Amino acid sequence: MKETKGLNQQQEETVQIVIFKLGEEEFGVNILQVREIEKLDQGITRVPKAPHFVEGIINLRGEIIPIVDLRRRFGLTLPELGYNSRVIIVEVGDALVGMLVDAVVEVLRVPVSAIEPAPAITKGVDAYFLAGVAKLDTRLIVLLNLERTLSSEEAKELNEAELG
Amino acid sequence: MEVSQYLNVFMDECYEHLQVLNQSLLTLEKEPDNAELLNSIFRAAHTLKGASATMGFNKMASVTHAMEDVLSLLRQKELEVTPEIINVLFDALDLLETLAKGIVEGQEENIEVAGVLQSLKKYLVAELTSERQEKEERRKNLQLRYSPDEIDKIKTAVEGGLSLVHLHLTLEKDCLLKGARAFMILRELETQGEIVRTIPTAKELEDEKFDDDFVIGLLTKKPVEVLVQFVEKMLDVKTVKGEVVEDDKLLVERRGAGPSQLSTAAPSAEPQKTSQVKASSSISPTVRVDIKKLDDLMNLVGELVITRSRLEQISMEKGDPLLGETVEQLSRLTLDLRDQVLKTRMVPVDQVFSRFPRLVRDLAKETGKEVELRISGAETELDRTVIDEIVDPLVHILRNSVDHGIEEPALRAQLGKQEQGVIELHAYQAGNQVVISVTDDGRGIDPEKIKTRALERGFLTPEEIEGLEEEEILNLIFLPGFSTSDKVTDVSGRGVGMDVVKTKISALGGVVQVSSVKGEGTTITIRLPLTLAIIQTLIVQLGEDVFAIPTGYIEQTISVARNEIKKLRNQEVAILRGEVIPLIRLQDFLGVPKAKNEEFDELDVVVVRNGERKLGCVVDSLVRQQDVVIKSLGSYLGNIAGIAGATILGNGKIALILDMRAVA
Repeated sequence: MKETKGLNQQQEETVQIVIFKLGEEEFGVNILQVREIEKLDQGITRVPKAPHFVEGIINLRGEIIPIVDLRRRFGLTLPELGYNSRVIIVEVGDALVGMLVDAVVEVLRVPVSAIEPAPAITKGVDAYFLAGVAKLDTRLIVLLNLERTLSSEEAKELNEAELG
Repeated sequence: MEVSQYLNVFMDECYEHLQVLNQSLLTLEKEPDNAELLNSIFRAAHTLKGASATMGFNKMASVTHAMEDVLSLLRQKELEVTPEIINVLFDALDLLETLAKGIVEGQEENIEVAGVLQSLKKYLVAELTSERQEKEERRKNLQLRYSPDEIDKIKTAVEGGLSLVHLHLTLEKDCLLKGARAFMILRELETQGEIVRTIPTAKELEDEKFDDDFVIGLLTKKPVEVLVQFVEKMLDVKTVKGEVVEDDKLLVERRGAGPSQLSTAAPSAEPQKTSQVKASSSISPTVRVDIKKLDDLMNLVGELVITRSRLEQISMEKGDPLLGETVEQLSRLTLDLRDQVLKTRMVPVDQVFSRFPRLVRDLAKETGKEVELRISGAETELDRTVIDEIVDPLVHILRNSVDHGIEEPALRAQLGKQEQGVIELHAYQAGNQVVISVTDDGRGIDPEKIKTRALERGFLTPEEIEGLEEEEILNLIFLPGFSTSDKVTDVSGRGVGMDVVKTKISALGGVVQVSSVKGEGTTITIRLPLTLAIIQTLIVQLGEDVFAIPTGYIEQTISVARNEIKKLRNQEVAILRGEVIPLIRLQDFLGVPKAKNEEFDELDVVVVRNGERKLGCVVDSLVRQQDVVIKSLGSYLGNIAGIAGATILGNGKIALILDMRAVA
C-alpha cells in the first residue's frame, strides 16, 4: 500500500485511504483503487443464481456494475441500509465492482508506519481479506485487500462450497 | 518509406490474393486447361510479388517470383499442368501463408524458403530461353488480328479506295504518362482516318498496360509516308514504322487461350469460358474500414436504440401528439440506422467456406479417400463476430466427416456406393437464424457403438441409456471426452472434439444437432443467431422484476386456465393441441420473490423451444416485445447459469436476459 518513496526521508511516506463504515466499524481502501462514490438512488436489480453476497447489478451511465454487499461478504449481521448508505465503485483487475457500505466517512492520509499486519480476525473479518490495520491515535481502521475481498474466482468457489 | 502504415493494407490485400490463389489452384486441379484461370493465378502471384517487394519482404517476393516464373511457363504451354506442379504450387502457397503470418509477427526473416524455391526452380531449367521467348512472343502478339466483321469492313473500305495502314509506334523510354500520351496519339490519328483496331486495345493503352510500343490499324486515304511524318512530329514518339497491308493478308484473330489473351480482350472477342472470372469486375466500389470502428458504431447505435425507447416512454406519458409524431419518426430512423449498421457488419459465410475445399482436399489425400465437397448458400450473411468463431467448429466437423464419415474408396465400392464420397456444406438463413449444415454420405453413426462407448467411459448407467431416444443417444457425442472412432488418426479422434464444437456454438448462442442413418450418412446442423449485439425479446414480469426472453426461442405464448394444468409424474404439464408440454414456474426456477396477488385463474405461459424440446414457462404477465442491446454482466460475475446478459430498458432500469438453453 505504499504510494511513493519520498526523496526527503524526513517527510514520512503516506497513503490516502477512503474510510467507510460497516455498522459502526471503520474500514478503508486505498484511494487509488476507488473510481467513484455513488448514492444508491436507483434500485438494485437482483441477479438470480449469483453468489449470495452479490446484491445485484446497477446501471451506471450505461454500464452494468455488479454490487457486492460487504457485510454479507464478511458474514456480518448488520442493520438495513439507510440514508447514509453509499456504493463505492472500485477497480479490481479489469472489472468495476460496487461495494455497498453503510456510510463513507472521509479520506485520510495515513503514515505507512502506522499500518500493521492484521491479526487473524479483526472485528469479525478474516485476515485473509485484509491488507492490514492502520492504528491512529484513537481509531483502528481495517484496510481491505480488495483483490481478495472481491475476487470473483474466490467468489465462485465460495458460492459452490456453500451450495455443495 | 514508413512501412508500418501500409502494413495493414498490404496484409489485407495479401490475404485476398492468397485466397484467390487457393481457390483458383483448386479449380485448376480439376480443369488443367482453363487458360483464364491460369491468368488469374498468374495475376495474383504477380501482384503479390510486386507488393511484397515494395514492402521489402524479400522472402515473400522471391517465392512469388519463382511461382510467377513457373506460372508463366504454364501459361505459355511450355509446361503442362500436372498434379505434381499443382502440389508444388500448393506448397508454395502454404509457405506464402506462413510468410504472411511471419510478417505480422515480425518473423519473416526466420522462415525457411529454400526447399520450396528449389522445387519451384526445378521447372525453370529453361528459364533463360523462355524469357527470350517471352519477348518474341510479345512481339508476335503485336501483330494486328481482326475479327471477321472487321475484315469485311476493311475489304469494303479498300474497294472504296482507302488503304489499311499498320503503324508501329515506339515511345521514348522515359515518357511520363504513357497512357495519356497513347491516348493523345490515337486522338490525333483519328483526324487522319478511321482506327479499326489497336494492339494492345485502346483501353489497355489508356490504362498503360503496354511496354513502349503499340500498333495501330488505320483505314485512311493518306499515303504511308505522310502518316509516318505526321506521327513522328508528336511528343515522346521515338520511332514509327508504317506499312500498307493488303486486305487479303489480314490475320484473323485467334479465339481463346494463349498468351495473346490479354491483347485480344476486346468485347467481341470474349471467349465464353471467361464469364465466371469476369464477374468480379462488376463489384461495386468498397472502402476498407477498421472493424473497431464498426464495433464502436454498433455500440453507439445500441445506446441510441435504448435512448429511443426511453423517449418513447416519456412521449407516451406526456401524451403530446406532436411529440408522439416526432418520436415515431425518430424511432423509424433509428431502426433503419440500426439495420444498416448491422448490415455493414454482415459478411458472407463464403469468407469461411472458401478455405474448406482445400482443407477437404488435403484431408482426403492424407486419409486416402476420395471426397467431393459441395458448397451451397455461401452468400448467406452472418455478423462478422460470429463468422470468426465458427471456423474452428466447422473445421472440426469437416475433419470428422472425412476421417470417420466417408469410407475408403474400396469399401464404398463394395457397399455399392460411388467411390467418391460427397460432403455437402449448406448455409441458409431462416428467420433471424442462420443454419449451416454438413452432410456426408458416409457410414453414419452407429447408436449401438455410442451406447457401448458411453457405458465404457461411465458417462451413463445401463438404466439411463435404456430410457434414451435415438436422437438423445446421438447427441451423446457432444459429451466431453467422447470419441467413437476405433482408430486414432492424425486427422481427428483424439477425444477432444464434438464437445468443443458444442461449447463454442453454445457460447455464440447457437445450437448444434446431429442426425444420422447408419450406413447412409450423417448430418450436423448448426443454428446461429444473425447477430450477437441486438436481439428481439419478450419482456415478462416475474414478481417485481422484469426479464427479457429472446424471441428466437419462443414458439408461442398461451394463456392456460389454472384448472387445465395437469400433473404428470410430479411434473406440471399443459396440453396444447394434443401435445403435452411440461411447465416450469420461471419464478421458482430463478428464485425470484413472489408478488402478493398470486392467484389468477389464467396463467400466462411462454412456450419456448430448445431444439426438439418444448417447455412452457409460467410468468406473472407479458409486458411487451422489445429490441434490446445485450450487455454482458461483466467479468466479475462471469457466466451465471440461466442468464445470458442484461439490458437497460427505456426507463433506465435493468432487465436480465434469460438464457433459455439453460432453462429449457
